[in-house]
Amino acid sequence: MAGQSFDYATEAFDMIDLLDSLASPEEVVDAVARSFTLFGFETFIITGLPHPRESFEQVVLLRKWPIGWFEIYAKYDYIRSDPIIRLCKTTTRPFEWSEAPYDRAEEPKAAEVMDRAVDFGMREGFCLPIHGINGYEACFSMSGAHLDLSPRTKPAVHLMAMYAFERARQLLAPNPQSGAKILTPRECEILVWAANGKSAADTGDILGITERTVTAHIASACQKLEAVNKTQAVARALQYKLIGL
Amino acid sequence: MNCADGQEIDVYDNESAIYLLAIDRGRVVGGQRLYPTHAPHMLSEVFGHMTQRGIPRAQHILEWTRYFVVKERRVGRTDCRLLAALQQFCLEEGVTGVTAVVEMWWLPRWHQVGFKVRPLGLPTLIEDQPCIAAEIEISEASLDQVRKLAGLHAPALVRNGRMRPLIDRVPHVAA
Repeated sequence: MAGQSFDYATEAFDMIDLLDSLASPEEVVDAVARSFTLFGFETFIITGLPHPRESFEQVVLLRKWPIGWFEIYAKYDYIRSDPIIRLCKTTTRPFEWSEAPYDRAEEPKAAEVMDRAVDFGMREGFCLPIHGINGYEACFSMSGAHLDLSPRTKPAVHLMAMYAFERARQLLAPNPQSGAKILTPRECEILVWAANGKSAADTGDILGITERTVTAHIASACQKLEAVNKTQAVARALQYKLIGL
Repeated sequence: MNCADGQEIDVYDNESAIYLLAIDRGRVVGGQRLYPTHAPHMLSEVFGHMTQRGIPRAQHILEWTRYFVVKERRVGRTDCRLLAALQQFCLEEGVTGVTAVVEMWWLPRWHQVGFKVRPLGLPTLIEDQPCIAAEIEISEASLDQVRKLAGLHAPALVRNGRMRPLIDRVPHVAA
């Protein structure tokens, strides 16, 4: 019904406008909880996706999760086997938890995450993947026992989640490039050329800078990635999705 | 954008359009188009259904379309440089905002480079992709932030030749 979808839209726009005035992460959690409860969501988490050397707790931005579940999830490092997280990495579109594929027989740990979540009332869910620049990846995952998800409600939830994520990121990262800190755009650019078989001299010619500068960028990238040489730096940058080909 | 003969032109590619191009050694590696909103434009003619909150139209608001970066430059700084050029050009010309329709996945990228983005409606599927109509504020703060990410110390924009001031281009109505 048109009237009803108009209400979702109003709710979404009001919530987005409100976010700007919120001064703390706790206020953002409360605002999200208030709006999302209208759609049946009881719990949610906003988290970055950890690189292999980061832990789950290090990358969580905001959460309204059952405390027991958070502890179990961290203890068993479920983020590395969670099918929701896995799908986040390969899509930019929001999806329902039931759309995230996994093989119950072949991936017992994936099945375990999904089953144990249900024990905490997280039966159905919806997830928004975030793909920033310079390889920054995050997700906003929300759940409840009975969700009101339809082609009418999803766009409103999608939009609110996107803006709540942004507000959380601003409030929690005074340095707005927190995700970009890993490698500078120039370092990424140079590693991409290296991945394409270019020497430091070739790359210098292409970018109009000296070979020495290129080498300095590569050295800096090696240090950040804890790589012993350019080859390993390229491999790690690809592995962590800091660069693509 | 698919174009068999290397050319893809629409009705808004006319004398009112302004193009900001990313050129590297004579080769175009990215670009974007700006178009007046006081004339019929894509948001008013094609995407009106995506603007429940109204379409901002004024001399000092432009529509931003046809953004592209060639495939091999999608990693790296070309995006940030185009976005910096957009902010700088609009600041110089007295433009206060631009409107655009984009895939939703662009929003976090815009946010990350410091753009202030106001949704004009709810996300809507276009060719099965959730897209949104939005207005982006032009500001010194956004330019500073995106220049930082672009690694730009020099201006983000090079002007070849002279251009009539944008605001003066508005057709005069005889008194």
